[in-house]
Amino acid sequence: MNILSNWLREWVNPNVTDEALAEQLTMAGLEVDGIAPIAPAFKGVVVGYVISCEKHADADKLNLCQVDVGEAENLQIICGAKNIRSGLKVIVATVGAELPDGLKIKKAKLRGVESFGMICSESELGITDSSEGIAELENDAPIGQDIRAYLNLDDHIIELDVTPNRGDCFSVLGVARELSAHYNLAFNLPEFEALAQGDCAIGASVSDTQACPKYLTRTIIGIDNTVKTPKWMADKLVRSGQQLHSPVVDITNFVLLELGQPMHGFDLSKLEGDIKVRMAKSGEQIELLNEIIVKLKEDTLVIADGGSVLAIAGIMGGMSSATQSNSSNILLESAFFEPISIAGKARSYGLHTESSLRFERGVDFNMTELAMERATQLIVEICGGQASKINACIDKNALPKLKPISINQEKIQKILGFALDSDWIEQKFINLGFEISQKTNNSWVIIPPSFRFDIRIPVDLIEELARLYGYDKLPVQKLSLESSISTISEADISQYDIMQSLVNRGYQEVITYSFISEKYQNLISPEAKKIRLSNPISADMSIMRSSLISGLLQTVESNQRRGHTDARFFEIGLCFDGIKADEQSNKLAAIVTGNRFSPQWSVDLQALDFFDIKSDLESLLSLTDAEFSFEAAQHVALQKGQTAKIILKGEQVGWIGALSPILQKQLSLPECYLFEIDLANIKSGSIAQYKPLSSYQQSGRDIALVLDENIPVAELIQSIKAMQQQCFIEVNLFDVYTGEGVELGKKSVALSLTYQSPEGTLTETQLNVKVDEVLALMQTQYSAILR
Amino acid sequence: MIVIDAILNRANTSIAKTQNLQELEDLRVSFLGKKGELTALLKGLGKLSKEQRPKMGEAINRAKVNIQTLLTDKKNHLELVALEKRLLSEKIDVSLPGRNAEMGGLHPITITLNRIQSLFAKNGFEVAIGPEIEDDFHNFTALNIPQHHPARAMHDTFYFDKNTVLRTHTSPVQIRTLEKQKPPLRIIAPGRVYRCDSDITHTPMFHQVEGLIVDKHANFAQLKGLLIDFLRAYFEQEDLKVRFRPSYFPFTEPSAEADIECVICHGVGCRVCKKTGWLEVLGCGVVHPNVLSSVNIDPEIYTGLAFGIGIERLAMLRYGVNDLRLFFENDSRFLRQFR
Repeated sequence: MNILSNWLREWVNPNVTDEALAEQLTMAGLEVDGIAPIAPAFKGVVVGYVISCEKHADADKLNLCQVDVGEAENLQIICGAKNIRSGLKVIVATVGAELPDGLKIKKAKLRGVESFGMICSESELGITDSSEGIAELENDAPIGQDIRAYLNLDDHIIELDVTPNRGDCFSVLGVARELSAHYNLAFNLPEFEALAQGDCAIGASVSDTQACPKYLTRTIIGIDNTVKTPKWMADKLVRSGQQLHSPVVDITNFVLLELGQPMHGFDLSKLEGDIKVRMAKSGEQIELLNEIIVKLKEDTLVIADGGSVLAIAGIMGGMSSATQSNSSNILLESAFFEPISIAGKARSYGLHTESSLRFERGVDFNMTELAMERATQLIVEICGGQASKINACIDKNALPKLKPISINQEKIQKILGFALDSDWIEQKFINLGFEISQKTNNSWVIIPPSFRFDIRIPVDLIEELARLYGYDKLPVQKLSLESSISTISEADISQYDIMQSLVNRGYQEVITYSFISEKYQNLISPEAKKIRLSNPISADMSIMRSSLISGLLQTVESNQRRGHTDARFFEIGLCFDGIKADEQSNKLAAIVTGNRFSPQWSVDLQALDFFDIKSDLESLLSLTDAEFSFEAAQHVALQKGQTAKIILKGEQVGWIGALSPILQKQLSLPECYLFEIDLANIKSGSIAQYKPLSSYQQSGRDIALVLDENIPVAELIQSIKAMQQQCFIEVNLFDVYTGEGVELGKKSVALSLTYQSPEGTLTETQLNVKVDEVLALMQTQYSAILR
Repeated sequence: MIVIDAILNRANTSIAKTQNLQELEDLRVSFLGKKGELTALLKGLGKLSKEQRPKMGEAINRAKVNIQTLLTDKKNHLELVALEKRLLSEKIDVSLPGRNAEMGGLHPITITLNRIQSLFAKNGFEVAIGPEIEDDFHNFTALNIPQHHPARAMHDTFYFDKNTVLRTHTSPVQIRTLEKQKPPLRIIAPGRVYRCDSDITHTPMFHQVEGLIVDKHANFAQLKGLLIDFLRAYFEQEDLKVRFRPSYFPFTEPSAEADIECVICHGVGCRVCKKTGWLEVLGCGVVHPNVLSSVNIDPEIYTGLAFGIGIERLAMLRYGVNDLRLFFENDSRFLRQFR
């Protein structure tokens, strides 16, 4: 909300600069987003009166003016503006004046004639961005008065960011009241009273008094709404960001800004019968002031007459019954709508108005009458007319209850960590307009004022005290809490360990958006449930990812475009199989593309392949104590024949493979290898358990087996391990060969077996027995023969 | 004797002349070998008289030792020369770079999160996490943001259905933690959050760290102390100015926002701090009694302290990043700067 500092100062005027005042507001919790002067600095500019205006003898476009600026002698000024004429009140920069752009006004000669000053436009003074011709002032502008004083330019617009709890600060009155509490200055609500005569000619009834506990109306007959809104009011409205309309509308807007009470003026001649405040009926519609026609929902409170809906209560009036400049009889409305009945309604119609903003957050329900009197007084003063008495529909029981709140020193100290002086506390409660209904030395019962919807419980009062004391001055303490060392399992693998393991192997972490396009979702996980946002930012960000792969592919693609062709990326993040908490799982995915090493003097360029990324994955999996295996499989996004499921305890926990050539083409991607794994499976490793070392030599034997090329080598190795031979240490694969010397459809697999006994070095015979057992198994299980 | 001297002399000369190990070996054989000259002399000892035999034997043995010494010394010398020669041929340019397998790196947001976590870990805070697709209860209602609360409109929430949202803050982790863990406790909850907003200064996804302390003796003064300590530690600036302002969050009362003195202009006023000299970095407060009650913790006994920190903001200030969107474009040139 924009608020003018001079307007504030009419209500409460602390002896500080506008900047200091703004700082105080920020520190009070009314954050100032900006403070801007109404006009830039300039001096020596006054109101002048053009006594005469004649054409310059030697220049068609120039005029020779005699201007009265309140000095003993008139000034001769040459002016080129088209709208210059005698009898005009103008802005005169006299000799010696300094204008905002740095121009200093000197005596000048134009085509042989002397000129003692300059007649200015508003843009030349920096008040407006552009203006046509010189400014024409009101006829009653006092000649010779400094223009800064006359136009009230020594003022600032303070831009306030009012938090949702402080609906009471959406007005000059509210902010002034807040300042008075901080500066310890007296604050009295002014009294307004308009002369009223006769009863309101039109009746009103409220059918839902819970939603509208208070509804006041009065007629004002015989106004002249064609007059001009007075300058003092127009300036305040425009500078506060309001547009000017007819005087009646301007006045209700003015009261809204001044007192925070939204009001509405109906054209009496457009009304049919009595006013009814009721819920909208199904099928009803209304053309609003902004020319939009809305279909009303049945949960919406409306103002209606005998015929139709006139306004959406507390949000916006209708076009048909609106006050126009030719209106001469009006019905003025001032009401209190319960915040709950207005909350969310404006938004549900795509509306956001000054009125709905205030009613949603809570308007002072004791302000209704005062605002009515204030607006009436101004209308009668400006537009004339005769006001009726107020017609009031009030359901006292439905008005918000001001419940007493108990507070004591102990509670204050518990929350803030220190004690405040009791006298100080009382003074501040009074400053804030809180009523102290009971008290002892260290406890109080407080009744909050009708404008503070946010004060409900003791901690609300404590915050008020803390605010007034100054958050910055509140003491600082160290945490002194109950605490004990909680254990960390040594076997746990932290997410940081996992990340670091990949970083050490050359991977760069990326963070991509959790929502992806439907296109990517269909390409990568067509079978997954589509979890769609109902209000996405764009179609490209509309589906919650079920896999991290789409983000990685996009990352490779965008980096490829920037010429970064060698890449290793990984991401860790939630993927979504549903909207329930247990359907959101943390996954890890990685992708590699390009060369194994960047070009360098000591290594030839080699393209990365499946076994590069598999080795990175295996090193990661080796952090755990679990046995993972890989099983050839097919995946829609991966290349047939170079794809595997990652298996743990018979369950699939991830994928590894080459990006399918079809996707490469479709997404303009190079050859990529990638894996994805559910991180729940990389949770813990084992805690080391020492085994005694054998003091005898290891014995080893290398064997080469020829077998069907479709038998996975991992199976061979697994079955050797599963034999659990005594003294067995390890089996190591050191060569896989197909080609010359090996029959077509077969492969040669070279394994090295290692044995060691804790009791002695194995003899050749003992070793032969063990190797023969292995060979026999290979023969029976895989028809593998020794080469 | 003359014969022995002659042999010794010859051995001396020829060993000195020798330039390779094979020649040296040949010499050893010709003097000391089975058919060598000295061996022949030894074999001839039997023909000498009893008196001459020991003298002659001794002389021959002495000569043998002498020649052996000469041979060994020469051999050592020749080997040293050969080694020198080899080393010369194996000389490398030690200034050439090592075989390079590059290190990767973490994302700056992760680096920032890790740093924040480890700073709070020093104070006994444990990490808690929660789902990103949240229900209305955890994201709003339990946090004292009932239906139609104006704060909901300010959250720019992404919806799946009426009751399901992308979490708009990490605060629901407070609720989820308190539902299963009894106080006293201190946790921090890092993670992604989402708001339906995208422009120069907003991305629809960003990161927060939520902090929560629930204890019988927690108070606002401690919250201030903790956060001032944290901010000074994070920016490694012991005299960093921190100020607290009243603010409003439905789930805390009293509520505050903390500003730090602008780290760019040091309080003078610049574009980053909008000429105020201050930068808003976090929100905090004493947990609203309604929030504790919603998870069956008695607010008369326990006090909660909570805070929420915007990670991108801290990362931008610390590393001088001037465009929020860079964090999610994943441009290698950007990411590599954080290795």
